[in-house]
Amino acid sequence: MNLTKEWRTFKAVFHRNLKLFTSYNAWIVATLIWPIPLLAVNIYSYRALGTDASISSIISRDFGISNFAGMIIIGTIVYLLYNRLLWGAGVSLQSERWMGTIEALFVTPASRMTVLFACGASSVIEGAWWIGCIFAMSWMIFGVEPSIASWLAIALGILSTMVALISVGVFFASFFVLTRAADQLASALQAPIRFFSGVVFPVSALPQLLQFISYILPVTYGIQAMRKAVLTGGDVASISFELVLLYVFALVLTIAGYFTLRALETQAKRKGTLYMY
Amino acid sequence: MKEKIAAVDHVNFEIREGEFFGLLGPNGAGKTTTIKLLCTLLVPDDGTAVVNGFDVIKEPEKVRKSLGVVTGGERGLYWRLTGRENLWFFSQMYNVPPDVARPRIEQLLKLVELQDRADEQVEKYSRGMKQRLHVVKGLVNDPPILLLDEPTLGLDPSSARVIRDFVKDQLQKEQNKTILHTTHYMEEADQLCDRIAIIDQGKTIALDTPTNLKKSIQSLEVAKVQVTQFNPRDQESIRSIEQVKEAVVEYTDSTVGAAEITIHAEDLDVVVPRLTELLVKGGARIIALHESRPSLEDVFISMTGRKLRD
Repeated sequence: MNLTKEWRTFKAVFHRNLKLFTSYNAWIVATLIWPIPLLAVNIYSYRALGTDASISSIISRDFGISNFAGMIIIGTIVYLLYNRLLWGAGVSLQSERWMGTIEALFVTPASRMTVLFACGASSVIEGAWWIGCIFAMSWMIFGVEPSIASWLAIALGILSTMVALISVGVFFASFFVLTRAADQLASALQAPIRFFSGVVFPVSALPQLLQFISYILPVTYGIQAMRKAVLTGGDVASISFELVLLYVFALVLTIAGYFTLRALETQAKRKGTLYMY
Repeated sequence: MKEKIAAVDHVNFEIREGEFFGLLGPNGAGKTTTIKLLCTLLVPDDGTAVVNGFDVIKEPEKVRKSLGVVTGGERGLYWRLTGRENLWFFSQMYNVPPDVARPRIEQLLKLVELQDRADEQVEKYSRGMKQRLHVVKGLVNDPPILLLDEPTLGLDPSSARVIRDFVKDQLQKEQNKTILHTTHYMEEADQLCDRIAIIDQGKTIALDTPTNLKKSIQSLEVAKVQVTQFNPRDQESIRSIEQVKEAVVEYTDSTVGAAEITIHAEDLDVVVPRLTELLVKGGARIIALHESRPSLEDVFISMTGRKLRD
């Protein structure tokens, strides 16, 4: 592997994506408006059942999470991040199709995997803006007070979650190479992932059988790590299990993604479907 | 079960270093499929190709490094990026070192007279400007081989001429690049190419220099007749006139029966009186009749019985 070549590819794709992303101004407004009602729907669903203190005490007693609004906000942030990175990396090849540039890109000797990781990484910038906005607005609107003991744990939690979620996007990208219908598959998975990863409730509230599904999803571990680090004063040691699993997911999905991408790209080139809208 | 159709079937050709080689054929003949196979965008079910000494199936990355690919049409550029940003992006996809890429991009922009508009978003460019950018995008890695797939498609005559002059004078004559050029414009192929392969329905039906291809039908005389109120039933009758080798009718306005009839014959002096008699009898009005020299289109007609545009 020629690292200079990969770095050039990575930088160019990253820079291009930022340029394309910032060339549309509407996203700034969209990211400010869209997440708040999404959070409010879930938070007020809980508030309809009692006071903040009474609901938090039940959730704390049964599931060890002290702040129900914080639980929802962290879950939603990680879920939105998953969405952003899935669409950022996974759908990047579909976007090339829409822009009419996929052939131009695929006739270059640039590594597909590097292109995909760069797309994922550039989505992190957008994701970071979302995280910042949601945190700031949640604090102002819903009065959430984080309980942070280790900033390092938070930083590692965010980083590890992002790495794992970019790998999910890279894995999904191979299906976007094969078929333009892959976005329907990705869309169809959104609601189940939101449910099974416990975005607005603790996974332990699910029946045992369903929890098995939850624990094969990287989003679940990302949410758990971030809830511990932000809401319960968890340090690096207390989230180490989740961190290790997130990197295992990242490794497995990247390797699987590499081979799947190669196989499906060849298949798409045989069928001539690579360039169809 | 779906029927499997071979888009390209037994197309064989070899291009010499520094040669301007044309693939001429109607839409759907297999020209673009051939280009896509050569630049590794498609994988053949059978057979292979060697580009710059590298096998397209076994060594696709080396093939891609050897090539610059230029396609016609609006696609293939990032419209929200500037012209300069597009060239920079693709230079990096080809791993061109920045200290080489920067001056090269400046030089390329100058070559196609886009230096003054280089920092504008591509979406503000005219069709001709986009196509000029397309051409130099294929040169950012300074490849020894260029694949030009209908590079003048849909351009106005003036923009098309700029592109044609650039690829012939700058790229072939000055830089000695090997060029494979697909087109369905016969005049373009005639003007630019050292050799031409005429392909139809995925097969090579002729391969030679434009002069030799035209010589191959030199014994034939060619006439073009413009008519209105043409009776379609007369088409077969025209073909059966003695000494007519081929007759192709192309409608220019079917509502009034306006058509151009191309006749290949051994002796037009014998054919023309019978043809005019037949047309008039059928109710057609003859607008013009003139003899012409055989073109590449006539080569195609003599081989397939159809025009390139059909």
